[in-house]
Amino acid sequence: MEKRQDIVVGLIFSGIGLGAAWMATEYRGASGNYPMALGLILTLLGAAVVIKVIRSARNEPRPLVDAPAQMIIATVVAAVYVAAVVPLGFYTASFLVMLAMPLALGFRRIVYALVVAAVFIMLVYLVFSVLLDKPLPREAILSLLTAGG
Amino acid sequence: MDFYVNAFTQVMAFGPLTAMLGATLLGVFIGALPGLNPVMAIALLLPLTYSMDPLVALAMVAGIYNGSMYGGAIPAILLRIPGTPASIATTFDGFPMADRGEASKALKIACWSSAIGGIASAIALMTMGPILARLTLFFGPAEYFWIAIFGMASVGVMVGSDPIKGIMAAVLGLLIGTMGIDNLSGQARFTFGQTWLLGGLDLIVVLVGLYALPPVLQLAEKRDLMGLSAAQLKLADAPFAKGELRGLFPTWLRASGIGVGILPGAGGNIAAFLSYNAVKNASDDPDSFGKGNPQGVLLVPAILILMCVGVYVINGRMVDLWVMLGAGLTGYFLEKVNVPLAPIILGMILGPMAEQSIRRALLISRGDPTELFTRPLSAVLAVLTLLIVIWPLIRVLRRRRSTDIPPTT
Repeated sequence: MEKRQDIVVGLIFSGIGLGAAWMATEYRGASGNYPMALGLILTLLGAAVVIKVIRSARNEPRPLVDAPAQMIIATVVAAVYVAAVVPLGFYTASFLVMLAMPLALGFRRIVYALVVAAVFIMLVYLVFSVLLDKPLPREAILSLLTAGG
Repeated sequence: MDFYVNAFTQVMAFGPLTAMLGATLLGVFIGALPGLNPVMAIALLLPLTYSMDPLVALAMVAGIYNGSMYGGAIPAILLRIPGTPASIATTFDGFPMADRGEASKALKIACWSSAIGGIASAIALMTMGPILARLTLFFGPAEYFWIAIFGMASVGVMVGSDPIKGIMAAVLGLLIGTMGIDNLSGQARFTFGQTWLLGGLDLIVVLVGLYALPPVLQLAEKRDLMGLSAAQLKLADAPFAKGELRGLFPTWLRASGIGVGILPGAGGNIAAFLSYNAVKNASDDPDSFGKGNPQGVLLVPAILILMCVGVYVINGRMVDLWVMLGAGLTGYFLEKVNVPLAPIILGMILGPMAEQSIRRALLISRGDPTELFTRPLSAVLAVLTLLIVIWPLIRVLRRRRSTDIPPTT
């Protein structure tokens, strides 16, 4: 419900503000005053949100997540992808996530996904690695091939 | 006047014009790539210009700068990934327009606006530069502080439905802006013992996470299993309706005025936000500003990869990708509970300027805080800031009073 969510939001912001103000007490001189003031203002604003919500009569349903299963799947796959970028290499991990994410979300046209993945990764490679020459995490498969050769 | 005519004929020669055109196209391309900004575009081009005629070289630099400033609007409109901090304001309406199938029109408006804004600023620089330079002498640290607070207060109050949440978001942004080593004293703040936090959180990393991840997650939630919808991405020619272009002129005029009037050092990012606010405020239907939803399951990993590559190339650090994911998840939930994201970013941009200005002002006045209110310009800016904050309150009270008192006939 909207009311309960806003109370939690207000309390979280107040908590962050109080925590920041408390941490700022340890900073010497003027370097602590500014974050402390900000922390206290944030605490007050969080409290103001809570008070306003409590006084308001409005309480409509407001879902935090529309489709929890898909949202969690997408978040987990994204996190696994980021974790895999260094061990596997950027392009390998990216190619795999281009296949894994749609499949995990229920997409079943595998050949279509494969073609899109290959074309897209090729484009990213051409722009970032060939044209702009940006260093990206090295491909594990290349290391294996050089070690094997 | 002779000087202007002479300069105009030289610039309009074949060499500089071709250089400008080529560099503008290159700039649009670079600006459109997430993680690459106009400054980076100029840095890439600079080594090429050393051997050139100065006029051609300057034309190229100007072209690439303006091209990449516009280029930033392309991912902002199509993917809600602002290519540059200045194009965050473009995401507010550009992305919902693209979602309604008006991507072509949004890109055209951005292009026209970019060109008109660019021309207006060039004319202003040529004609008003010396006057503005003299004017800035009146701006001390106290005035810079108030400009920063004014920018934030106006965005906090105007963006979103609840002014308290907007200001709360701005203060959170200010607090995030204090992370890292304090420039004036060398004190490490909110670093939790992590060396990678000594430089603070990178603005672009947080920006990409906050803005681009929530639509990606929403796309995944909708999981349009039919694949890419051609109609959604079609950039078919969308002619302007009769009078539509004319209707944009007042907006361009007002926004150009604000852009020119903004202080040196305050920068284009504040100008972009303030212009957005001014125009939204003047609109008959302010609630129509900033709404949207996307589709297409294969876009989910594609945008994610673009975000990651864009963020990774900034500092070459893996930790930035985690920060981006964290910021994105936070942004996803904050949007759901109606806490606007733009004030957080503006707080991060303006936070360091606000803090350094107020501390400098207090150093100059030997700790006397009245310095912040007693100088004529700072007093005016302080009053304006106060008005911006209490204006929504007055509006609510007036609305309440008008509903309480029955109309007398």
